[in-house]
Amino acid sequence: MLEINHLNAKVKDKEIEILKDFSLKINSSEIHAIMGPNGTGKSTLAKVLMGHYGYEVTGGDILFDNDNIVSLEVNERAKKGIFLCMQDPTVIEGVSNSEFLRTAKGEITGEKVNLYSFIKDMDSAMKSVSLDSNMLHRSLNQGFSGGEKKKNEVLQLKVLKPKFIILDELDSGLDVDSLRIVCENINEYIKENPETSILIITHYPRILEYIKPDYVHVMVDGKIQKTGNIDLAFTVEKDGYLGIGSGVNV
Amino acid sequence: MSKVIYIVEDNENKNYKYNIKEDTIIYHFSINSSSEVIIDLDKEGVRLDYYYNNINYDDNKFSIKVNHLKKNTHSELYNHGVNVFCNKLMYYVDGVVLKNSSKCICNQDNQIINMDNGKSAICPNLLIDNYDVDSNHAAYIGKFKDEAMFYLMSRGISREVAYRLLLNGFLINSDSIEKDKIKLFLDEIEKI
Repeated sequence: MLEINHLNAKVKDKEIEILKDFSLKINSSEIHAIMGPNGTGKSTLAKVLMGHYGYEVTGGDILFDNDNIVSLEVNERAKKGIFLCMQDPTVIEGVSNSEFLRTAKGEITGEKVNLYSFIKDMDSAMKSVSLDSNMLHRSLNQGFSGGEKKKNEVLQLKVLKPKFIILDELDSGLDVDSLRIVCENINEYIKENPETSILIITHYPRILEYIKPDYVHVMVDGKIQKTGNIDLAFTVEKDGYLGIGSGVNV
Repeated sequence: MSKVIYIVEDNENKNYKYNIKEDTIIYHFSINSSSEVIIDLDKEGVRLDYYYNNINYDDNKFSIKVNHLKKNTHSELYNHGVNVFCNKLMYYVDGVVLKNSSKCICNQDNQIINMDNGKSAICPNLLIDNYDVDSNHAAYIGKFKDEAMFYLMSRGISREVAYRLLLNGFLINSDSIEKDKIKLFLDEIEKI
């Protein structure tokens, strides 16, 4: 599904490279987690995969379903089925959650979305992520708590039905109950759409107890330094990044 | 229940004066016009919400002055403009609280989106002559934020549609606006 080959990327208009010869392959139905110290390039990777305007790819390829997506616009990547669940979702004043989601659904499916059936569908989807239905009519993420923003991201995911999901620090700003609710919803989504692949970016193994990864990678200085199973995440938590030593590259 | 006033102006220069004695919401939609507004809050405890939304093509100016003549009066001004070409758009926004008008709230939020290299300016003035007043102002001139565009596009929305969503959200910034009363303005948004 996703194949990243020798990717190099830097912040636009600056010379410092953040991703350095980064390679990773994620097949359909696989769940991968990336852990790593602050500033090592984990969130940059997420943004580069989505095509963020602030970064420039200086080398390498990103193949998604065998197509190189490096030159694609952000919305074209989303239409291919890539979804970035953001660490700090953007507040957009004046654009209602419902207007935004209905437009996005129409753009993704290429079909006109009937307002009545949309509102009806949203009602049950919002209940499943424990969001009050009146939040649908509020400005996008405006006045939402940290937990509500993350639930709103998961709500979007359920509506837009992507096949590759990047969870960028989903657990940040979430209390225990909210984390359980969003993870249950993601697991339910995977069950309904078993071909879906997930890339989890996290600092803590707690989320990995809810969404079980097939592989855990440790990223240091812009590339993957070690790969293992979930036990690697617990070792990192126990001993820190210095405690894992050198390891197997992907 | 507030009194609601709609103003829709198209290529005209007009002055408006209101003496407010009950809670009032004013929706002011302006297409390529200059206007001057003076409002007196003339009854204790009265509240004004003023939404000025403006599409600009030539050199124009908008000035508004809200005089808090009585105690405990409250004004909230939301002035949003889109400067389409390379012209000059000026906002002069004055909140005036007199010496005897204690416990007033006097806020203003001013934003101009330059779609080209227009020369826009905002002059926010808070002239407060009383110590017991809550007053704030904000002013922004620039483009729509890149982060907002990225967020919308990351959900599959094309650049053009995302821009239109932002434009509509910026210029129709209250859920309570009755769309049939501002059809002329809505049609103009579509032309941008």
